[in-house]
Amino acid sequence: MGAEITNLNGLEKPILEIDNLTVLRSGKLVLKNVNLTVNRGEFVGIVGPNGSGKSTLLLTILGVLKAQEGNVKIYNSKPMSRELYGKIGWVSQAAANLPKEIRITVKELVHLGTVNAKNMFSNTWLPMKDKGRRKRVEEAIEMVGLQGFENFDIGRISGGQRQRAVIARALATEAEFILLDEPLVGMDRESRNSLLKLLDRFCHDNGKTIIMVSHDLSAIRQTTHRMIFLEEKIRFDGPTANFPDLESLAKLRGISHTHEQENGQWWPGDVKEER
Amino acid sequence: MMLPELGVILADLFFPIFEYIAPHVPGEFFPNFFNGEIQALQRSLLGSLMVTIIAGFLGSFLLVRNLAMIGDGLAHVAFGGVIVGIILGASTPLWYALICSIIASISIYELQSREILTGDASIAIFMTGMLAFGLVILKLSGRAITTDIHSYLFGSQLLIDSENLNLISYMSLVSLFVLFNLRHALLAITIDPLSARVQGLPVRGIGLMFSIIIAIVVVSMVKVVGALLVTALLVTPAATAQLIGRSFKSCIFWAQVFGFLSVLIGLYISSEHGTGAGSSIALTAATIFVIIGLLSGVSKITNPGKNEN
Repeated sequence: MGAEITNLNGLEKPILEIDNLTVLRSGKLVLKNVNLTVNRGEFVGIVGPNGSGKSTLLLTILGVLKAQEGNVKIYNSKPMSRELYGKIGWVSQAAANLPKEIRITVKELVHLGTVNAKNMFSNTWLPMKDKGRRKRVEEAIEMVGLQGFENFDIGRISGGQRQRAVIARALATEAEFILLDEPLVGMDRESRNSLLKLLDRFCHDNGKTIIMVSHDLSAIRQTTHRMIFLEEKIRFDGPTANFPDLESLAKLRGISHTHEQENGQWWPGDVKEER
Repeated sequence: MMLPELGVILADLFFPIFEYIAPHVPGEFFPNFFNGEIQALQRSLLGSLMVTIIAGFLGSFLLVRNLAMIGDGLAHVAFGGVIVGIILGASTPLWYALICSIIASISIYELQSREILTGDASIAIFMTGMLAFGLVILKLSGRAITTDIHSYLFGSQLLIDSENLNLISYMSLVSLFVLFNLRHALLAITIDPLSARVQGLPVRGIGLMFSIIIAIVVVSMVKVVGALLVTALLVTPAATAQLIGRSFKSCIFWAQVFGFLSVLIGLYISSEHGTGAGSSIALTAATIFVIIGLLSGVSKITNPGKNEN
């Protein structure tokens, strides 16, 4: 299903272009010659074992980490440039792991998404002028299905709800391009599925573009249009339906499948536990 | 000084109000804070209340940033700065305290944001380092700890002259203005610095600004409650607020309420029983925390699982 969308927008410029990217982190090679193009409306899942460079790739796209070699372009601009403010939504693991003692409501958290360099000083004295922002907050909360929880503080809602609140925060920025780092960690199956459905809807109905990094191969497989298997470089990139099974995956990685199992470090572990 | 005497302006504004309340104020000596017979007491009341407003505001942010002890650390730095100022013969040693605290606060921020040291460790280093420097200088100059120096340790209600009130007024007003205007941005960079950066917020600039504000607020509090007890007004009311507040906004509101209560009750106790203003305020703040803590604990036990809203 991803392919159709890509074709529909075939004439548009890609949203993300990564060209021959090489990234070192504290002297260690993490990403090597990565090439990646993402078009509007795509839902891309990135999987890979621990330390395979998934988060590094996201952080380089965001512009937090600098590339040693190669180029990253988002909407034809360099990462972190002024033109991109408000266009990218970032859902990190950190926000979901917020200390529970902090008294801040869902509404307040989502509202933080509307703060940017332009309005951080203004509007604070005139609540009337905040109307547009308030509306965005309400809409974002509605989109993730947290109506009725606006005034609950985030320490007292479930992990899945908190994750949805964090996503609403990213939506309130009016971002068209959303990056998620391991959003499924610590969620039960039900909230995981509803979150994935939600993300899928964003791509289909709202034309948003999503890149999601996850450990959870089985979950990510159900929803994404396109999968990328990353381990230092991109070892697989294609429609989700064509994603290799575990044995071929091991072959792709150049290691024997059974050998890894014996050492108790096979990946992905989630497949084993699939219910 | 080129700037208008803000302390005098505020005094003209608020002292009549104090005097209006004075006949209804309980106690034998406590009304003197209101009725204007001893101007220093009126000044100290005004100073305390101003400091409380800003402390409640700042304290709520410090708790979210997990920086509760920075107030204590910077207060010790400020105390070291005060000693240096006194030895150099400054008329308002608070200026020296201000400069030392700002430098320390920025350094702590840098060490923390560059992930060189945790917040706690860098606070500890600056706190003890500057305090020790002040004490060594004091010994070298051959002086002893005088009443004046003592007053900075424990606060001195009677030693707030109009120059001090002026300085405290300016520091409170400036920090309140900045904090109020930056409150959304500040919360955003606290909750999730990376998202804030992606949204285009100047995370570093706001962080540095916040460090300077912390230093300013702490110094303005040193004269009123004393270096040893700054944290009592900065953190305790905000922590009490966290027990009953359900949103960040309401926490700030309750921090103000508990701060005011601590100051008024503390001043009342100290003036009626001669227990020392700073320590009485601190003790009151802690007592309120315990009472509210017990009450909220009881209500949680009697209504288990209720999502309070």
